[in-house]
Amino acid sequence: MKRLIKCLVWDLYNTIWEGVILEEEVTIREGLPEVITELDRRGIIQSVASRGDEAVASANLSRHGLAEYFIAPQINWLPKFRSIRSICSELNFSPDATAFIDDDPFEREQIRFTIPDVRVYDAADALSLPDLPEFTPETITRESSMRRQLYAAELQRHKAESEYGSRLEFLTSCGMKLSVRPAVHADLPRVAELMSRTHQLNTTGLMIDREKLEEYLTEPGRCVMVAELNDRFGEYGIMAAAISETSGDTWKLGYLAVSCRVMGRGIEKAVLAKLLNNAVRSGYRAIQADLKETGQNRMMKALYQMTGFRNTGRKDEEGRLLYQFYGSHPVTMPEWVEVL
Amino acid sequence: MNEMEIKLMDYIRKECLPDNSSYPLRADENLFDSGIVDSAGLISFIAFIESEYNIVIPDEDLLPENFISVRVIACYLASRLVKEECGVENETAH
Repeated sequence: MKRLIKCLVWDLYNTIWEGVILEEEVTIREGLPEVITELDRRGIIQSVASRGDEAVASANLSRHGLAEYFIAPQINWLPKFRSIRSICSELNFSPDATAFIDDDPFEREQIRFTIPDVRVYDAADALSLPDLPEFTPETITRESSMRRQLYAAELQRHKAESEYGSRLEFLTSCGMKLSVRPAVHADLPRVAELMSRTHQLNTTGLMIDREKLEEYLTEPGRCVMVAELNDRFGEYGIMAAAISETSGDTWKLGYLAVSCRVMGRGIEKAVLAKLLNNAVRSGYRAIQADLKETGQNRMMKALYQMTGFRNTGRKDEEGRLLYQFYGSHPVTMPEWVEVL
Repeated sequence: MNEMEIKLMDYIRKECLPDNSSYPLRADENLFDSGIVDSAGLISFIAFIESEYNIVIPDEDLLPENFISVRVIACYLASRLVKEECGVENETAH
C-alpha cells in the first residue's frame, strides 16, 4: 500500500487558477475549490509553493475564499524545492508524506530530482486527486477535519516562543493540560488512525485493526487508553493512544503511539509518566514495555531508556523486545504539563 | 568549559533555542527538565554528534547517565573517543 499523503503543496499559476504571474485578476479552475475543500475535510494539510508576488497572490486567494485552506504558503521567487523544504520543516512533514502538484513539467522534474521522496502530480490530474488511494485515509475522524486549525495554531505557538527568555518559561506559558483516560467505543477510529499515521513516536509500528481494538475494550487485563491535550492556542484532541496488558502483578505497556504534532514539548514523556505512575499506584510491582524496532522509531527507544526502562534482550515471535522498568517512581512529570 | 562542551552548547543554541535567544544555557543544566530537548530533539542531537565526531552511538548508550546535560554528554564522548583511539571496542551489553 502506498503511504498516505499528509501534506499537498500546490503551485498557483495554471494549477489553481488561470492567469499570468503579477496579473491582478485570475480565474479559479473549475472544480478546484471542491477538490481543496474535500482534501481539507479528509485532514490533508495543504500549502503553496509558487513563484510570484506574495501580496498579489494572497489577495487573489482571499478574494476567492481559499486563503484559509493553505498553511505556511511560500510565494516567492526561490526555487520550489527550497519552498517545499521550508514547508516540510516548518510543519514537520517528512518528504515521503508530502506531495507537489504543478502544471510545469520542468518544476515537477526538478522536485523529482532534488527531493525524490516527494510525490509529484501533474496539474492536469488535479480533479482526480480525491480518487487516488494515497489521498484517501481509511477513516475520517473529528481530528482529521480539525487538522488544519491545529497546524495553524502550531505556527502561532512557534511565533510566540521567540517572545520568551527561556524554553521553560515559554512551555509554561502555553498552559498545557493533559488528560489520559480509558478509550471508549467512539474513540477507536481515532486510535486506529493514530496507529497508521504515526511512525516516529510509535513503539511497535504494528497495525491493530478495528475489530481487534473492539475486543481489547472488553478483554480482561487489557486496557486501551487515549490522551488528550489542550493549551492556550487551542485543542489537539486525542493525540496519543496506548494499550496495556496485565497479568498477576505485572503491567506491560504493549503499544504507545504519540502524534508527531505534539513533538518538541516533552508530551510523549508526560503521557508515559502518567501511564507508569497510574500502574504503580494501582499496585503493579513489575513494569514492562514492548518495543519493536521499525527503523523509524529510535525516539521511542530513547524515550523508554531515558525514562528508566532497560532492554532485557528478550524478543517475542513478532520481533518485539521486552523492556523492564528499573527507574525510580513516581516518574517525574515535565513541570510545564498539568495533568487533569 | 572545554572545546567539546562549547561545540555541543553551540548546537543547542542554534537548533533548540529561538533565534537570538539570550538564554544563559549552562553546561550542567538538565536538558530534559528544562524542556530544551525531548525525545525528538535527542535523536537529532545524536545525529549531529555522530557526524561531528565520526562515531556511532549504540542504542544501549541512550541513557540519562550519558545524555542528561552537555557536561555529561561531553564526558561520555571523551571516554568514547579515547576508547576508539586505543582500539577498545565499545561495550555493547545485552
